[in-house]
Order: sequence, then structure tokens, then C-alpha cells
Amino acid sequence: MQTHFITDSDLVTFFASLEKRGPMYMAVRDEKGTVGIKPYSEVGSYSYPGVRAFQPLKPFFFSALEEVAEYPSAEESLKEVRPFTIVGAAGCDLRAIEALDRVFLEGDFKDPFYEEKRSKALIIGFDCTDPLETCFCVLVGVEPYAEKGFDLSLAKVEGGYVIEVGSDKGKQVMDDNKGLFKPATENHLSQRKAMRDKTKDMVEKQSKEYKPPTTWQDLMSKVYEDNTWARNVETCVECGACLFTCPTCQCFLLYDQKAGDRFKRLKMWDSCAYKNFTRVAGGANPREGLIDRFRHRYYHKLDYFPKTYGFEGCTGCGRCIVACPGEIDMRKVLKEAGKS
Amino acid sequence: MNNVYKPIDAEILEVIDETPTIKTFVLKPKENIGFATGQFMEVTVPGLGEAPFTPSSSPNVKDKLDFTIMSVGKVTEKLHGMTKGQIVGVRGPMGKGYPIDGWKGKEILIVGGGVGAAPLRSLFLALTERLDDFKKIVYCYGARTPADIVYKDQILDKWQKINPSKIEIRTTVDEGDASWKGNVGVVTTVVKNLGIDVKNSVGVVCGPPIMMKFGTFALVEQGYPDSAIHLSMEKNMSCGIGKCGHCMLGEYMVCHDGPVMTYDKVKDKPAIWD
Repeated sequence: MQTHFITDSDLVTFFASLEKRGPMYMAVRDEKGTVGIKPYSEVGSYSYPGVRAFQPLKPFFFSALEEVAEYPSAEESLKEVRPFTIVGAAGCDLRAIEALDRVFLEGDFKDPFYEEKRSKALIIGFDCTDPLETCFCVLVGVEPYAEKGFDLSLAKVEGGYVIEVGSDKGKQVMDDNKGLFKPATENHLSQRKAMRDKTKDMVEKQSKEYKPPTTWQDLMSKVYEDNTWARNVETCVECGACLFTCPTCQCFLLYDQKAGDRFKRLKMWDSCAYKNFTRVAGGANPREGLIDRFRHRYYHKLDYFPKTYGFEGCTGCGRCIVACPGEIDMRKVLKEAGKS
Repeated sequence: MNNVYKPIDAEILEVIDETPTIKTFVLKPKENIGFATGQFMEVTVPGLGEAPFTPSSSPNVKDKLDFTIMSVGKVTEKLHGMTKGQIVGVRGPMGKGYPIDGWKGKEILIVGGGVGAAPLRSLFLALTERLDDFKKIVYCYGARTPADIVYKDQILDKWQKINPSKIEIRTTVDEGDASWKGNVGVVTTVVKNLGIDVKNSVGVVCGPPIMMKFGTFALVEQGYPDSAIHLSMEKNMSCGIGKCGHCMLGEYMVCHDGPVMTYDKVKDKPAIWD
């Protein structure tokens, strides 16, 4: 893939040009040190975020709540979306988008709402430099840098950034702003590589103790009846925070309600931690027990998802660990599995 | 772009009382929507929501759809109060139905119970409308009482007469009454002495969870390989397009990978009978 170099000041010019395409959002670090996504209009400059934002990027494509139909036969709810730009997708965020693409764009039917938003997004990735203590991407086959799945990616080097082209769409917006880019030098690329190696080493060191003996799927094939599920679910309050903050959690509920003299169908995030998630009208509920529901999340991410798509449905972003009021740490739950 | 979440308006043409808790709704969708037998659709009760049902009519009937529905939850309860001329919504067809094209020359055993008769009626009609393709059909059906038998005029009379040498209908009830002359016992009591060459046969099981379980075990006992037993899995199919996660069974989305699934695919998955 093509790599270029852009100076700090030219990058701001470039972003000003991208903002003309439509709404732009950016991962920025606030004064308390937390990285979050903000509209670029509120930021106006650029500082390297260093690590993934506290929010997942999925709401850009898969809204927490959206109208998907109006009936009887009424105006079409599916509307064209303006092009928009996301600056600041970490390696884990990019993997999450790949996972959601597989879910929502493959199979007998595509989700047209996801497809429309996804097709209008320009995604700019970056390389992590400051992983959080909850990061474990390297354990699930994800690099702590923008490896693939981006339109453009940025890596901080001396005096500016290495910018890499990842798609035709990314190439197009660079071609539209030709004068801002220079070829990246050997020195730029070796700086980028050194930074990548350093970050990866940090994540590997802190993740080492949680590494599965062989593969996650192999571990999961042996621990369905393990005590770790019962032991670790004790502090679960079924709030669903782990799922709503998960960048790959795909579950939703279709909900109909009255709107004037017609009816609207809403699609909203749902959580497999909730008791009636799998209940059928006749009363049967295959995951009635909390342990069953708790365990299901781990099996979906590390066994079922790989069986269907060939890679883990967990990106190692650690958001579920941060979000849990019961202090349940996915890494520890899995570390204990097979040892009791 | 096609909005898969939007229902197509459908008029209720007729409501047929089948049993005290089961009615058949004959719907005429605004657009003809074909289906393969065993595929399902989401039926919308306006303002209340959707529930998944497999049409009970023949897939060869294009302009109307029958849905045979038991009143068990809020959508079905409301639906039971609806009448001729009212408008509901239909979305589909979805999922994988019965692979009947692969059953040419075979003997087919169908085991059903209760409202599980609905998809089986569609299957039975699809099979009998091209009966030359198949060697034999044995249909074992069980209901709680004689009054609970769905499609009484068909199951107890008409279907046997279509072709007495190739079709055998066996009916049973858990509890008989004064007028009942047939077999008394759960459906598995008639799944024996089938006169079928199991090696050249496929089995189909559809009914309430407990019947699915013991019906499947009965077929295994009769010598059917797991891969020849076709189950209609009943899970909470909500979006119907394999995305929303409610109907997940192991790695499968039942709405997308099923609802008809062979026993070998699902036998080791968690809570398949619940």
C-alpha cells in the first residue's frame, strides 16, 4: 500500500478539506486523559489520540435506536445518508468494523441501513502509542496499529505523520488534495515500525498471562461446563454495559409503536444478558439462567463467531472490562477456565 | 435498495377456527410473495409487533398465504381477535425450508404434533402435488384431544384418499373421548412398524418442544441417521435475516441457517429442545 508523509500543519489543512465532504468526527484526548469521539467542529485542530476512544464506533453504522419502517404502506424509512468522516479508528476498531460488515452485509439479506451508512463513511485509522492496561488485542489476532480495513491511516513521526492509503476512496481524497503530501522516506517508515514494535511489545507483555494454551476455539471446546462461568457471574447485575460498549455486539430488537395514524418500526440495541432475550411466546427460554447468558457472550465471541467468519468476534479493546460495574474482567474469566 | 424490515400489507380474506386455541388466517398480500415449503415469514399485527410463522399453504399457491396460528402470546392473542377484511403485515420468506428436491424416489416419514401441523401441511401439500417424485409418505400426527386436532377434515379424511397406496396417515390423541375410535397415546406410540425402508427414507419432525425431542429419539430408534432427520427449530426469530441474535443456537442463526435443520447439525448445541 502507498505511504506518504504529511506535516502537522498540512494535516490540519487536509482535515479542513475533508470536512467539506460532510460531518466529521474525531478521536481526541480530553484534559483528564480520556480519549473520546467528538464532532470535528468542536475540536478544530488535531492531536494524536494514542489509543482507541472510550466509545465503540458501531453507532456510526448501527444506531442505538433508529426507525427502520413505517406502515401500512407509507413513505420509505430508508434514506440516503450524507458522506461523513471518522478520524481515529484504532486497530481494534477497524477489526470491529470488519466483523460488523460480515454480519450486516453478508448472508441471504443485507441490512440496508447499515449498508447505506457504511458506504458513506471515510475511515481514517491510526497506530496506537499508549495502550490502556485493559488492552489485549494481540491475543485475538489484532494488531495495535492500522493494519487493514481503513481508507487512510496515520502514524505519528517526527514533524508530521506517515499517511497510508488503504482504499480507492482514501486515494481519491488524497488526490483531491495533492500538494499536501510527500513520499514517505525510509526514515519515516522505520520510525513508524519502531513505534509499532514498541506498542505491540507493551500489549504483549501485559497480555502474556492471559494467553490461551493453544487457540481460543480449542479452549472453548473444553470449558463449557467449567466453574468459571458460575464463579465470575456472581457480580453480574445484568446491566448489559459489556454488550452495549462492545464494538462487535450486533444484537438488536425490532419494536413497533403507534405514530399518528400509522405505525413505526424501531430497531434498537438489545442485550443477550437480558432474561427474555431468547424467550419464545410459548414460554420456552433456552437461556433462562444467568450463567447460560453470561457464558453465551464468551462463546459467541470466541467460538461461534470464528466458526462462521474465521476470526474472533472479540477485538481485545477491553471496553467491556472498563464498563463493568461488577468488575468482571473477560481476560480473568477465561484465564480461570479449564483450571477448576 | 430493498428495505427488509418493512412489512407488505396483507388483507385477511378468511379466518377458519381449527381448534379452541388455533385458527387459520388466509391472507392476501399486496404483492405475491412466493416461498419454499418450510421457509417462514414474520407476520405483523399493526402497532404491536411481529411473530414468526411458517405458511401452512402449498408453496404452489402464489396469491394467498395460509397461516395456522395458536394463541399463546400477545401478538397471536391480538391476531385471534382480528377478522376478515382487516390488514396485517407480512415480511419474508426467510430461512431454509425442507430440501424436497433432494428427496426424489424416497419414502418420507412425517411426525407432527399440535400446531406443528402448520408447516407440515405445507410440506404435505407440496409433496402430494408432485407425488410421482416420491415412493411413499407416512404422516404420524398427534394432538392432545380429538378437539385439538388441526385440519380435522384433511387429516382424518381427505389426505388419505389422495392416494391410498402411497399415503398413510396415522392419527393419535393423548386423551380420547366417547367419539374417538383411533389410537390413544403420544405420537411416538404410532412411530413404529412403519413399513418403511429406513435406508431410503427421510424423517421430518415438527411440534412442541417435548414432542420434538421424543419424536426425534423415536426416529433415531427406528434407525434413521441423524443427517436424515429434519427438524423445524423453534427459537425467538425476530429480524428473520440472521442479524439480531435472538434465535442463536450454537453458531447458527436459526432464522437464517434454519428453521429446518438436520439433527446432526444441531444435536450437540446447547439447549436445542428448550
